[in-house]
Amino acid sequence: MPQTLDRRRLLATAALGGVVGATGLGSLAPEAAFAAEPATVEPGAPDPNFVEGRIGKISGHLLLVTGSDTVLHSIRITDGTSIWKLHPTTFDQVAIGDGLYARGVRLPDGTLAADSVWVNIVNLHAHIAAVGRNLLHLDHKGQRIVAHVVPGRSAAVYNGTPAISDLSLLRVGRHVQVLGAWHPDTNEIDIATVYAAA
Amino acid sequence: MAAIRGEVSWFCCGTAWGPCGTAGGGACGTCKSGNYQHAWPNTSDACWAITHPDSCGLSMSRRGCGFRHYTTNLCNGSRVGTTIADCGPQTDLFCGERTCCGSACGSNRIIDLTPAAFSAIGSLSVGLRPCSVDTV
Repeated sequence: MPQTLDRRRLLATAALGGVVGATGLGSLAPEAAFAAEPATVEPGAPDPNFVEGRIGKISGHLLLVTGSDTVLHSIRITDGTSIWKLHPTTFDQVAIGDGLYARGVRLPDGTLAADSVWVNIVNLHAHIAAVGRNLLHLDHKGQRIVAHVVPGRSAAVYNGTPAISDLSLLRVGRHVQVLGAWHPDTNEIDIATVYAAA
Repeated sequence: MAAIRGEVSWFCCGTAWGPCGTAGGGACGTCKSGNYQHAWPNTSDACWAITHPDSCGLSMSRRGCGFRHYTTNLCNGSRVGTTIADCGPQTDLFCGERTCCGSACGSNRIIDLTPAAFSAIGSLSVGLRPCSVDTV
């Protein structure tokens, strides 16, 4: 717990103008960062330390985000913020129009000092409608979605086996869970991991 | 209820961007990605007919909308309390699937959390985790 609290304090310090380096934060893995975070949110209630929405403006290291419920949010990116966009990445890869989920610490002015930002991340349950060269056509809630295989990144988990880069065992009609990154301009996705049912 | 061990994933609901835009408020009509909520495979007869955890050898209790469960990520011990807002996951489609963190393992999908809830106990970029679920 002390490590997590220290990290959160450092994030707030960074957001308020302090100098923070990643090495000073220890592990940047979100799994570790939130391992001991106290559960203070009532079950069923909204989490004030979580934001969902689309980026309308980027000003310095501040993201101005419009929530899907139309609520406006400011998200501060610090040196300690971990950013995911298909894979762990850097702030310069974040763009206006991207969707995101973010978790962090609320500052006194309401800005969220982000600990983690997941950009364009989707986790879809779908059926494989067709298989093409380096892509899958998914049937997701009656909508057809094109999912691209990204060489060197996309992986498949076949019914709990370790992830492998060979997606050739995926078959039409199989149910899959696809974790990936959405393209706002085309509504297609890039595949990070496909979880395939037996 | 004794704790159930299995797998936890996450799903989006409510108003949302991208492919999640069609998700809606879930079976209970109240689901929102930013709330501490979850989907449960036995919220009704109709729900059970879709998810069929019994086909994986699981007997999961009938729980209605708003019922509280507490999910522990077996990879790091962190825990989150959530209320039922939807029917799911579709347990029968992944019968026998097993997820481990070292020696901590869970088999079969027993609960889906909203992004807010899942990200409180793990990273969204990891789509699946072994977990235990209880009511207290």
